[in-house]
Amino acid sequence: MATNKVTTRPAPGAIERLYAAFDDPRRRWALYAVIIALLLLAPPVVGRYGTVILTNALLYVILALGLNVVVGFAGLLDLGYAAFFAVGAYTTGILTQQFGFNFWLTIPFALCAAAIAGVIIGGPTLRLRSDYLAIVTLGFGEIVRIGARNLEITGQASGLTGIPSPSVFGYTLTGPTTYYYIFAALAVLAVIAAQRLLHSRLGRAWLYVRHDEDAAEAMGINRVRVKLAAYITGAVFGAIGGVFFAANLGAISPQSFSFQQSVLVLMAVILGGMGKIPGVILGAFIVILGPELLRDIGSLRLLVFAVILLLIMLFRPSGIWPGRRS
Amino acid sequence: MSKRLTHLAAAATIALAASGAGHAQEPITVGVQVPTTGSEATYGVDMKNAIQIAVDEINADGGLLGRQVEILVGDSACDPQQSVNAASKLASADVAGVVGGYCSGATLPTLKTYGDANIPFVITAANSTKLIPANPGNAFMINSTGYDQVRKAVDFFKSQGAKTLAIVDQGDAYSQDLANLTAKEWKKAGLEVTVQETVSKGEQSFSSLVTKIRSEGADAVFWTAYYADGGLLIRQLRQGGYQGIIAVGDGSNSPKLFEIAGRAADGVYCFSNPIAEFLPEAKQFIESYGNKYKGRSPGPYSTLSYDGMKLLGWAIEKAGSTDPDAVIDALASADGEAWLTGPISFTDKNTLARSNFIILKGEQGGWTLHSK
Amino acid sequence: MSLTDILIQQLVNGLVLGSFYALVALGYTMIFGVIKLLNFAHGDIYMVGAFVGFGALSLVSGTIGAGWMGIFVAMFVAMIAVGFLGVVIEQVAYRPMLSAPRLSILITALAVSLVLQNAALALTDGQVTAFRTDLGFGGVSLGAVFVNYTQIVLVASAIVLMIGLELFVSRTMYGKAMRAVSLDKDMCRLMGINVQRVIAVTFFAGSALAAAAGVMAGVQYGRIWYFMGFLIGLKAFTAAVIGGIGSITGAMLGGLILGLLEAFATQIPHIGGEWKDVFTFGVLILVLVFKPTGLLGKSEVERM
Repeated sequence: MATNKVTTRPAPGAIERLYAAFDDPRRRWALYAVIIALLLLAPPVVGRYGTVILTNALLYVILALGLNVVVGFAGLLDLGYAAFFAVGAYTTGILTQQFGFNFWLTIPFALCAAAIAGVIIGGPTLRLRSDYLAIVTLGFGEIVRIGARNLEITGQASGLTGIPSPSVFGYTLTGPTTYYYIFAALAVLAVIAAQRLLHSRLGRAWLYVRHDEDAAEAMGINRVRVKLAAYITGAVFGAIGGVFFAANLGAISPQSFSFQQSVLVLMAVILGGMGKIPGVILGAFIVILGPELLRDIGSLRLLVFAVILLLIMLFRPSGIWPGRRS
Repeated sequence: MSKRLTHLAAAATIALAASGAGHAQEPITVGVQVPTTGSEATYGVDMKNAIQIAVDEINADGGLLGRQVEILVGDSACDPQQSVNAASKLASADVAGVVGGYCSGATLPTLKTYGDANIPFVITAANSTKLIPANPGNAFMINSTGYDQVRKAVDFFKSQGAKTLAIVDQGDAYSQDLANLTAKEWKKAGLEVTVQETVSKGEQSFSSLVTKIRSEGADAVFWTAYYADGGLLIRQLRQGGYQGIIAVGDGSNSPKLFEIAGRAADGVYCFSNPIAEFLPEAKQFIESYGNKYKGRSPGPYSTLSYDGMKLLGWAIEKAGSTDPDAVIDALASADGEAWLTGPISFTDKNTLARSNFIILKGEQGGWTLHSK
Repeated sequence: MSLTDILIQQLVNGLVLGSFYALVALGYTMIFGVIKLLNFAHGDIYMVGAFVGFGALSLVSGTIGAGWMGIFVAMFVAMIAVGFLGVVIEQVAYRPMLSAPRLSILITALAVSLVLQNAALALTDGQVTAFRTDLGFGGVSLGAVFVNYTQIVLVASAIVLMIGLELFVSRTMYGKAMRAVSLDKDMCRLMGINVQRVIAVTFFAGSALAAAAGVMAGVQYGRIWYFMGFLIGLKAFTAAVIGGIGSITGAMLGGLILGLLEAFATQIPHIGGEWKDVFTFGVLILVLVFKPTGLLGKSEVERM
């Protein structure tokens, strides 16, 4: 397996210098200020359609950051990430719609359900090699989707409709702009959380386990617990995305949680630069905005998009903004 | 009110100008929301083609309000989020109305988008009962909901002396809805459903399902989904030695079914809206379709989509402008004018008031009328 | 039907389905063997094979008809053409990625899959295509058990192809080189083996087998379309993993097991077909929990 140990570092080109400028701690606060300003000012500038797709891209930022914890930080391949997204969305859907819960009360339940799902998926798979992990996670993803399609409680193929819009202090959250700001806030929180996790004790343990599992274990890191923690963390990000996705659309159905969805999130992570938070954010924007910007060319848009993806991978094999690898 | 007057005045001016110059005005854009990528593109393209034919005819007759019509396709990919994106794009493009809507699950969240933007939406295929309460009032469903077809189907199977029934759907909202409703009605009549199955989209081998149907015993098999896979099931049922009655729902009424199933489709029944072949007025539609899209036959929702576009055009003419409120009022006032698929008028919930399901029978590679 | 009849019939159904899975799974496992890539485009190669076979059959049916003769010619043409397509994909999309992180090449494979699927969608304008042959519906009946002639010939061809592959891998120079490359690429290079060529040959063989399966699917089921590779790609991947990815015998075994599981799962009362994929994935997970490298897979140490 360890056939390709040597990865030559390319000479710093224009792109690398640009990235280095962004990574420069002295400019960091200015950069943050610019990003926050852009986020705040975007909706009136880009219009209604722009707001809707940016909201979608921000949702993907949350999902991709969550998957990045599993894949990028801990090095566990997951091809069924849509399952966690589904668990969050359906928990909220079922509790609000069939048990009359207040939307905000469903969040802790969704998080618990996601954590349990993380343990269920993580538990039996910890001993597996990454290729086997790929199929098992894929299998779990399909099991969740087929379950949602077949069970009465999830509304079968039609899914759940009429999920009520949440309200804050008597103000009902509705409309594209409102949800844009909700997802923007969530995405910012997700970035902060991912950043802090990366630099925490747990984050270092993940990187250690990813680089050398046996050495990590010898150093006293509990491999099982650390890997489970990655799954649970990833699941929580996914579930939060799902909860607000359900509130935004007001209706959920199994089509939203297909294998293709999992693949798209994984593409965002790898394309952007596995393990590198700004890279992953960039990846999420590319996989969502790409096909949208190509809408005008009609049914060829996915073909063109796929060719572009291929070219990006061929020219930047480690992702657009890769993390440093030792 | 004054706004509407201005609109009317503007429309009148435009109409006058059109009769004079006949060009140089901005065309009316109509949105078309169908899947053109992903696994459902087959049906989406069928619908889009039919709408294009309707638009070509409208333009050949001088357009609407003297303006030419053009379509803007929003690919829903049969995915709820993608279709909301498509709908937002169409809404931002200031379309005069939207025609289409294939996957119920993907159409549902767009009702809100079009509702907020106050855009008339003629839904030509999606017909899940869940769409009805979510309709803010601007959407009109011209495909009858499952209930009508279920009644027709149950009566038919009973009249053929069937006591046991096998029902197969494809795990999408429409075909599963139809299957569940049929099973419920059938059991209510004191009869037995021996097999009720969901097959996955894209599955090719139904041989073990056929064996199960044969072993559990079923006087009739009802396929509630679409022609592309229905053709496979019919073929494999007959190949596998199943002798009973086979019937399919309106999603399978395409002539393409016979290409896929071959001779096995002879003797198969289909519950359907009147399809183009049996309507003298529709001959032209079939001809145009065959000429424009070589080697392609109209799909199950082609005639409905054609009608949907024509209906929207009719409503715009009747309203005398593209003012959304006026067009929506005009659509609601539709009262039994003749269309390819029969007269269209709406209930107070904007669903089709009258259904006119007929029963077709496969004979020598094509549909014949079995009973009205 | 008696219980024995049902079981025998489902056994037949499972074997037919399983031989399709096995043919596609073989390509997965061979390609994995030499470059450690889960080639997600493999299902779409199968789809392209079906379309090339359809085109070839339409061309030759005028002269030699669309009977078995024509079908075998079409299958041969499809295998050669799609074999080369596999080589081209390997050269263009995968070879430059071999030194990249392993997940990058996986994403490349997913992108290739998207390209093939959407190119076919564009070329066919989304239509399903009827794959017409001159074969009838005749077959052999043993009591209530019924087997189609087409099914018999297809399973036989699948077996012949698998035996051929087995001989190729165990007896020829390229086969030996293939096995050597899957063990240690660097060492092979030092020993003077042309590793690039061995990889190309592997892609050719794997893609040709998938193409054969695609043509067979067209013949057996009578319909081909741009999305037909998706589900079988997932299933064949599952089959390859159950058998132990990298193991050729494992892929055949995995394919047959998966086919049989699906057939018998459909028959289970009250659970039935709608849960059968849950059932198969459940079995897969169980197998891997107890045997983490699949039934016939060898254990290996890896680093990502």
